[in-house]
Amino acid sequence: MAAKNILKKNLLIGIFDDGDKLYDAVVNLRERGVEVFDCYTPYPVHNLDRAMGVKRSRLVFGAFVCGLVGFLCGITLQLYTMTDTFGTFKSWPMIIGGKPIDWRVIPSFVPVTFELTILFTAFGMGILFFARSRMVHGIEEDLIDIRQTDDRLVLAIEPDKLSMTKEELETIVKNQGALDFYERNLNNTDENK
Amino acid sequence: MYIAEIRNKLVQGDKKIADVTNDVLKSVEGKMTRGWMFGFAISFVFLMLMVWALYNTVTVGIGTWGVNKTVFWAWDITNFVFWVGIGHAGTLISAILLLFRQKWRMAINRSAEAMTIFAVICAAIYPLFHMGRVWLAYWVLPLPNAFGSLWVNFNSPLLWDVFAISTYFSVSLLFWYLGLIPDIATIRDRAKSKVSKAVYGFFSMGWNGSTRTWHRYEIVALILAGISTPLVLSVHTIVSFDFATSVIPGWHTTIFPPYFVAGAIFSGFGMVLTLLIIARKILNLESYITVNHLDAMTKVIMLTGSMVGLAYLTEFFIAQYSGVQYEQYAFLNRATGPFAWAYWTMMFCNLVAPQVFWFKWSRTTPWFIFMMSIVVNIGMWFERFVIIVTSLHRDYLPSSWVLYMPTFTEVALFLGTLGLFFTCFFLFVRYLPIINMAEVKSIINDRE
Repeated sequence: MAAKNILKKNLLIGIFDDGDKLYDAVVNLRERGVEVFDCYTPYPVHNLDRAMGVKRSRLVFGAFVCGLVGFLCGITLQLYTMTDTFGTFKSWPMIIGGKPIDWRVIPSFVPVTFELTILFTAFGMGILFFARSRMVHGIEEDLIDIRQTDDRLVLAIEPDKLSMTKEELETIVKNQGALDFYERNLNNTDENK
Repeated sequence: MYIAEIRNKLVQGDKKIADVTNDVLKSVEGKMTRGWMFGFAISFVFLMLMVWALYNTVTVGIGTWGVNKTVFWAWDITNFVFWVGIGHAGTLISAILLLFRQKWRMAINRSAEAMTIFAVICAAIYPLFHMGRVWLAYWVLPLPNAFGSLWVNFNSPLLWDVFAISTYFSVSLLFWYLGLIPDIATIRDRAKSKVSKAVYGFFSMGWNGSTRTWHRYEIVALILAGISTPLVLSVHTIVSFDFATSVIPGWHTTIFPPYFVAGAIFSGFGMVLTLLIIARKILNLESYITVNHLDAMTKVIMLTGSMVGLAYLTEFFIAQYSGVQYEQYAFLNRATGPFAWAYWTMMFCNLVAPQVFWFKWSRTTPWFIFMMSIVVNIGMWFERFVIIVTSLHRDYLPSSWVLYMPTFTEVALFLGTLGLFFTCFFLFVRYLPIINMAEVKSIINDRE
């Protein structure tokens, strides 16, 4: 998981200016057994998530459940207020325009049920997405490079989980086209920039 | 992957990633231009006209409108359907074209979605104020209440409309905002003043472009597109139910849902073209919103215009073929009655005029497309006018036949909603990136 406390982490940072180069670098490093902590990119780099080995998110299941809740809310509300389907669980269904107040009006419940299903799916999934990504209004952003939302792509690797020396890693990353490579050591902030 | 060289590049002019940010954010980070201020001022004046018209409507009453017996629905519902229709291009472009993997959508989806939101706001004003007592508008919601368990009538298509429009508005807003977050973060990180850093920082929700977030983000975008596609189609279907489920000759037809949806897409693309042809010129975004984009959009216009035209001819034929004298008369009255001029304006603008897009020159000449997009807007406004006013002004009882003329308040209201729409659009251009930078950066080297 992309921990939100990355500001507190010591990281080895490679800076790229091209998504394809970053993608190749990640594939190369993973083949050599280096786990990538995360990449920060201004745009979604195609297949980079798969190359990094990110597990497919289960948000879709969340979305399905939200949709189901919306569907049930919609249909229950209408059956409760418009029909006597549930026996005594009803709220004064009224005959309007001679329409029946039993199961025969169910076809006219389709539009509202459909809309509520969509409404619940969209907002439920939106909320789940923000919660899962730890995104909330007013939160402080944790940037490694100020241009990572503009035109720089950042490769971040945790130094303590490395299977090779830092120098070896630097050579590989630079050979893959990195513009810059440095260690962000928070104990000595002068070295960072 | 092999990509044929014959295809044009989606982004022209050999742009680099940094160029995208610089070009798109010029209007946000730069100084206000005179053109912007002039346009905003004019729109704002019209917006004030709307405020006056609404004040007049509320304080004096609906009598300030030209609605009469039997034309209870006239100007307001015409404009309501007109604006809702315009609101259909945005989500169509971002949702349906995403599902179809049409990459050219990426340069235009942001502004089209913004347009959707502003258009739906304009649309909502009409039914809300047509209620007469707008401060009781919340009565349309199914709220438990103190009036003796009176619930809303879920059998009524007007109530379905409440649910459809409000769902459409809120889901479109979510979709739009979600797409904006990475771009807001870009502005945040480039901002020089403390205020803009704080404001954009607040709305960027701490976005840092992590690939794990992008992964989830793309899943959310795909699912939102998947559920927005039936939503777009459902909204105008339900708007058409307002008419089709009635027993008014000329309205009571099963062709209405597909015909309305095609018309909505047609008018939506018309308005998108109107705005984008100006925007790309003034903001120097011709490398991003290229002639190929205009070409693709005019093809959609031609297709949907022909579908609408086919629907006009079909309903005319079916009315005559049905043998029902009221249906037959309703359609004959449209084509030859006192509002025949509106009918033939509609026919010309929607069916005949878009056929010019069979020619490549007309699809690739911006000034001509601009003129045509105005024609489409006019045509679609008249379509709604024809459907509503000409069907109502002569009912079953000839002694109650009337004509309809809009009053000054009604005209002011319509011009005012145009003002509202353009005021919102000018603010959008000034404070938010008009092009989805993150998406365009990802396709910067791609071909169509």
